[in-house]
Amino acid sequence: MPVYGPLSYSLASNILASKALTRWFTPFANWYANLAGYRKYGLKYDDLLIEERDDVQRAITRLTPRETYDRNFRFKRASQASVLHAPLPKEQWVKPEEDVRYLLPHVIEVVKEDTERQMWDTVAVGRK
Amino acid sequence: MLATRASTRNVQRIARSFATVVDSAGVKVAAVDLNQPTSSVTFLVKAGSRFEPKAGVAHGLKNFAFKSTAKRSALGTVRESELYGGVLSTNLSREYLALTADFLRGDEEYFVDVLSSFITSARFTRHEYDEYVKPIIESEIHTNLSDPAVRALELAHALAFRNGLGSSLFASEHPSLTVEDIKAFSQSAFTKGNIAVLGSGISQEVLTKLVDQSLSKLSSSASSSSTPSSYFGGETRIPSHGLQTIFVGFGAAGTPSAELAALSAYVSPTPSVKWSQGLSPIAPSIAPGTSVQNIYIPYSDATLVGFLIQGHESASVKAAGKAAVSALKTASAGLKGDDLKKAVAKAKFTAASAIENREGMISMLGPKVLAGSQASGEANLSPFDKVSESAFAKAASTLLKAKPTYVCVGDISSLPYADELGL
Repeated sequence: MPVYGPLSYSLASNILASKALTRWFTPFANWYANLAGYRKYGLKYDDLLIEERDDVQRAITRLTPRETYDRNFRFKRASQASVLHAPLPKEQWVKPEEDVRYLLPHVIEVVKEDTERQMWDTVAVGRK
Repeated sequence: MLATRASTRNVQRIARSFATVVDSAGVKVAAVDLNQPTSSVTFLVKAGSRFEPKAGVAHGLKNFAFKSTAKRSALGTVRESELYGGVLSTNLSREYLALTADFLRGDEEYFVDVLSSFITSARFTRHEYDEYVKPIIESEIHTNLSDPAVRALELAHALAFRNGLGSSLFASEHPSLTVEDIKAFSQSAFTKGNIAVLGSGISQEVLTKLVDQSLSKLSSSASSSSTPSSYFGGETRIPSHGLQTIFVGFGAAGTPSAELAALSAYVSPTPSVKWSQGLSPIAPSIAPGTSVQNIYIPYSDATLVGFLIQGHESASVKAAGKAAVSALKTASAGLKGDDLKKAVAKAKFTAASAIENREGMISMLGPKVLAGSQASGEANLSPFDKVSESAFAKAASTLLKAKPTYVCVGDISSLPYADELGL
């Protein structure tokens, strides 16, 4: 797995596995996500994934037409807000419950496929 | 002379048949082992275009075969099958979808697993539909329907049987198909009563055991059904490039009869000896460069009999068409003596030689296994011995009394109308 990129090292799964850790980290995580400011510009976290990669590009093609449309709309709205040097009005901010990982499952799927192809390309066949 | 020869000839001796049909966990399993070096297993599913709830779904399902399942991905299926040296193929007819694996003896465990995992746990993902399935559907539609012969037969079926058997084998050019449609169709089609497993070059016990393991969890809800076919007929003219093509024919509802097969064999202009003209009544009227192909397509409850005539010139197609129609009319008045015996012998040979190869055996005997009737070459051929002059005349005249099915594809300004051929 790459150090940088959509599937870089993450401790999230370890933290989510433990109830106590989840309880301690959730307020900190929420505080951090709000501080990052992307929600104020109407973006979701998965809009920030580095998309200049073949696997993420392929994952983007697998979104439903509706998801693709919404993603493009969010980008347009955010760049307009950026031009105006001001966040969006508060009612247009992305709410925490709307901030879902809509792209990540597709990226994971694509990476899995690439890994499998690599495996089959280099597989050594032995006699049973 | 023919009479004595025909009675002594013993076609039945060739043991091309499924000895027994075992009901393994509700799925019918039949196998025949002729000691070939390769084995072949076919899952025959009642999922042809006849049973589709929405146009083109069966075509979509056919092309989804061997894509990712809960057990392995599409790539894994391809690579692993390559390592074993097997061939996976699908074939869609109007009534059945056949999923076939041909492989070396001993690899049956893997290949039966590949076939059954598609039946039980295909994933039907949207991205696979968009990335792999849809382009293939589109290219199949393009290559097949740009062939005027295929196009004419598709149209002939639509005119002859309208719904059910009339529904096209191919999705429409810009299909409104979704993965959900295909998935829903697969769930209704992949049930125990709908599947027959046919093996060749594999022993019955081994196949039964493997099917038992893999398909035991399959749902056993009601099998696919459709309204019984009835014959309508009609005429259509489609402008197109390529060869001038006409289809002239008649259809009949009901179980295919040996009489109609004999009628089709009698008028068949295909000579028994290569490069000769043959004794067919049509042969002298066929101009060089024009082809006349007799069509006899039996289905479980209907038959389509006719001619497919193709040529570069409309005039020669018209001449051949006229000859074909008049030959069909003459034959329908009844055949006498040696003429009938000749026709029956030719039809019987065609039927017997069709089950010589694997695909023929699957397509001829598979439906019988699925229906639970006797699936042997003998049972297939015995009706030919019972064809009598009166039964033949009756079947043929009933056939020709119906409204003809007439399709012309090509230069519609010069191709003949049905009445110009004497229909």
